[in-house]
Amino acid sequence: MTPTTMIKTNGISKTVTTTQGQLQILKPISFEVKAGESIAIVGASGSGKSTLLSLLAGLDEVSEGEIYIDAQAMHNMDEEQRAQLRGAKVGFIFQSFMLVQSLTALENIMLPAEIAGHKDAKKRALDILELVGLDHRASHYPNQLSGGEQQRVAIARAFISKPKILFADEPTGNLDAANSDKIEKLLFELNQNSHTTLVLVTHDPVLAGKCQRQLHMQAGELTEVFANTSAEQAARQVG
Amino acid sequence: MTDHTLSLAWRLFRHETKRGELTIILLAIILSVASVLSLSLFSERLKSALTEKSAEFIAADRVLDSNSPVDLAWIEKAQEMGLNTAHQTYARSMVFANEQMDLVDLRAADTGYPLKGTVKIADKPFAPGIAIKRLPASGEAWIESQLFQTLGIVVGDNIEVGDKVFRVSKVLTEVPDAGFSVFGGDPKVLISNADLAATKVEGPGSRINYSYFFTGDSSDLDSYYDWLEPQLDSEIHDWDSIEDDETGIGRAVGRAGQYFLLASLLAIVLAAVSIAVAAQRYSMRHYDPVAIMKTLGAPKKMVQQIYLLQILFITALGITIGVILGFLIQQLVVAAIADKVDVSIDVWHWKPLIIAVFTGTVCAVLFSLYPLMKLFSVSPLRVLRRDLGANLSSRLIQFIASGGAIFLLMWSYSQNLKVSAILFVSGIILVFSLLMVTYGLIWVGRKFAQGKMGAWQLAWARIHRRAMDNSVQLISFAVTIMLLLIVLVMRNDMVQQWQNQLPQGTPNYFLVNISQAQQPNLQQHFASNQVDIDKFYPVVRGRFVAVNDEKVRTAVSKEDPDEASNGRDGLGREANLTWSNTLQNGSEVVEGQWFGLSNSSDTATERPYEVSIEKSISERMQLSLNDKLTFNIGSEIIDLKVTSIRDVNWQSMQPNFFFVIEPRALQNFIPTYISSFNLPSDRKADITQLMQPFANVTLIDVDARINQLRNIVDQVSLAVEFILILVLAAGALVLIAQVQASMDERQQELAILRTLGAKGRLIRASVVFEFIIIGVVAGAMAAVANELSLYMLQTQIFQMSASWHLEYWVIAPLAGALVVGTLGALGCWRLLSLNTSQLLRQMV
Repeated sequence: MTPTTMIKTNGISKTVTTTQGQLQILKPISFEVKAGESIAIVGASGSGKSTLLSLLAGLDEVSEGEIYIDAQAMHNMDEEQRAQLRGAKVGFIFQSFMLVQSLTALENIMLPAEIAGHKDAKKRALDILELVGLDHRASHYPNQLSGGEQQRVAIARAFISKPKILFADEPTGNLDAANSDKIEKLLFELNQNSHTTLVLVTHDPVLAGKCQRQLHMQAGELTEVFANTSAEQAARQVG
Repeated sequence: MTDHTLSLAWRLFRHETKRGELTIILLAIILSVASVLSLSLFSERLKSALTEKSAEFIAADRVLDSNSPVDLAWIEKAQEMGLNTAHQTYARSMVFANEQMDLVDLRAADTGYPLKGTVKIADKPFAPGIAIKRLPASGEAWIESQLFQTLGIVVGDNIEVGDKVFRVSKVLTEVPDAGFSVFGGDPKVLISNADLAATKVEGPGSRINYSYFFTGDSSDLDSYYDWLEPQLDSEIHDWDSIEDDETGIGRAVGRAGQYFLLASLLAIVLAAVSIAVAAQRYSMRHYDPVAIMKTLGAPKKMVQQIYLLQILFITALGITIGVILGFLIQQLVVAAIADKVDVSIDVWHWKPLIIAVFTGTVCAVLFSLYPLMKLFSVSPLRVLRRDLGANLSSRLIQFIASGGAIFLLMWSYSQNLKVSAILFVSGIILVFSLLMVTYGLIWVGRKFAQGKMGAWQLAWARIHRRAMDNSVQLISFAVTIMLLLIVLVMRNDMVQQWQNQLPQGTPNYFLVNISQAQQPNLQQHFASNQVDIDKFYPVVRGRFVAVNDEKVRTAVSKEDPDEASNGRDGLGREANLTWSNTLQNGSEVVEGQWFGLSNSSDTATERPYEVSIEKSISERMQLSLNDKLTFNIGSEIIDLKVTSIRDVNWQSMQPNFFFVIEPRALQNFIPTYISSFNLPSDRKADITQLMQPFANVTLIDVDARINQLRNIVDQVSLAVEFILILVLAAGALVLIAQVQASMDERQQELAILRTLGAKGRLIRASVVFEFIIIGVVAGAMAAVANELSLYMLQTQIFQMSASWHLEYWVIAPLAGALVVGTLGALGCWRLLSLNTSQLLRQMV
């Protein structure tokens, strides 16, 4: 069975208004991502990686072009519809974890399931908390957890509603080497097990190398797209 | 709304309460409810207690005065409606004894009298009185001390009143409804109502006044009046309550009431400011959770419901705690003053509770409206771009919502558009001028503080960089300080004016009928007894016969505005006329010119004699400048031209006169003299010895009345004092909330400075300096705004003379610097006690 297309963009661009006039921060970009595929968006700071991610995730509106997520035309949707789409099909992991400080680890994980109206939110959350190895920290608040633990909670939160696409923005950017390794391992493991499409923004070449493809960004332009060989990926994922 | 939304909202609320996230907003609501409740409950209770106390001065809650007996059915109706009633008949009559006679104020009371207050009697003239429940028995009369002198009688002698002989069984020292003017009028004689008919003083041509007293619940009294009013004839009947009382007491109580109202209004504004500050902070702290929820797919409606529910939970909790706390505070205050204020204040009032809950709700909802709208507008993109704030930025909405809320609360609470408008408009002017001044100061300050990065420079740099935030903060500090100043200064001015009315040593005895020959002896005798005697005022008695050659029917009888207004005096009664070249203290010429100042072209010999008349008499008798008044003095007729009209302070406890005549006019008449002196209560026994050599001089004892007046002024002052303390406490809490909120915003910067290795001392000093600068500026601006608001309040609402309060131009900035600086230092100390990593972690 040929994998379906999960993300498709046709000439998407982003222009912002500044005091000096219009500024195009993202030049027209077109590419496709297959279901279950993992891609890394790489590039220097200010190259437009995060802007691209925000458009793909529907957090921001495109100025021009088309985006299809799981065959749905996201560029035609308003904020509410995009939120609905995110709730149904998308998971997120952020560099700064973005946990709700006033909710416990368990409640943070339950949040997407609750928003989606799942009755078994708590059970699902407990299961996945165990999977990320934090069942003993269920009732702790984010500021009582280490950085690595917080990111594991964030990963558990991202996977609870079984998203079709997972967006990760510098997921190891705030972590030390040992914790980064653990998080990367967990991320790819869950990704493979649940056949999620992974879109990862990073400036870490090692982490990027673990994805199937890399999209290189420079000054708002997509300059290069290339595939990592399976051997490279395997070596990096193990290493 | 789904179960999930509710449970999420509840969970967030529970956790945030537990973790102290909601403390500030919760405290603000608690503060608003508690201060409004305690203040208005206390003032409501005190007001009714004072009204109760003041009611003693009219001997009832309401009085119906009438020129003729009223239909008995009216009284029966009042009794049916659950009111207590009593009745007293007043007549001016002659009494005879020992071949002497005198005109007296005869009062015939029925058994219910007095419904409020007490009658006091003594066994000897001028002895201290003792309260008594009963009234004179039939055939008995109680008479005032001075009448014993005039008639030359002792207790146990008989007097004749009209056709009936009475035995004088006691000395009457005090009746509650005596009135407060200096010349208490003719000596009072109290008899039983049952004996009145036998005296036959009632008859054609006699001037009798009938007073019907009522007490009961104010609602019953009001409904009775509703029933009664259509049947009253304004020519004959007059319905009075203590609130209508234009004497010193009525005014003091009325003014105190306005002060309580003002204080409560200001407390509402203070509470509103603190809620606005707290809601702003609450909203900003929730930008991240909202962005996260939106990112995770939460629809806008769900986010709105979650936060509105939270506000609802916080409001409900805040109101509950606030009501309990407010009640306790108020109870504490009541307990604290119970032994000083001898009135029962254990009455529960629902109105303050309703006001407090209403205030809490309106404040919480309207003041969190704009911050919540901002919160709802936070973009999910914030999860990637942390610098993104709210999309909504319309200060107009904020101003309309919060301004509207404040005005609505003020108006609905005070039901006084004028007070609300004055405070509100001066508030708006203040806010806008402060905004301008703040920007200017921030800009100027930065210019002066350039150079090496010391604590001062850091402080100014921070103030400058966050000009908008700081201007809002400055304004809220300035408004808080201004409100506190208003309450403080108003209290000082008001209490001062009250006390000035009755300074220590106010005369409590008056001497009338002193002959010219007695004057030096009397002066000497009093001096040898260490009693200071006041100025002697010459007096001649004159009959007022014509105005502009037209004979008058209404005559002025004596120097008592209350009594004269009843119009009870017979035709042709005499008036006391005095002469003086100088205007008396406390009097003010409101029309025309004082003697000798008019630019009259008449030569001295042709010039008519001038007279200055009192304002109320000029209105009552429709006299105006240049009218010709004719008096019959002794056997001579004298014409006088009205050249000035005076406003006289009848509360000054000095001899005051309706007519003051140019000395030139009266030089040929032989006057008697009036004077006054102060004798401390503990020397009351010396009176007999003092007066013994001057048998013909009449002594009028107003000590009891002065004490009554002083007592009520003391109690009102004390109450005002407590209200002031309550408002000050509320204000202090608001300042703490503001500093606390602004500390949050400084946390990030402190963390960075700390990380970069700045010494704790430098950081602390820079924060303290920053708050000191803010405190000084806010204090200075508050002093200016205070002056403006006070001017408007004192002249427009309190009918007081406005004055400058220059000392506060110094005190306010200093106090601002001290209080705000200290609070800033304390808040900073808390932050700096955390280590850098804790600081950074708190920022995440």
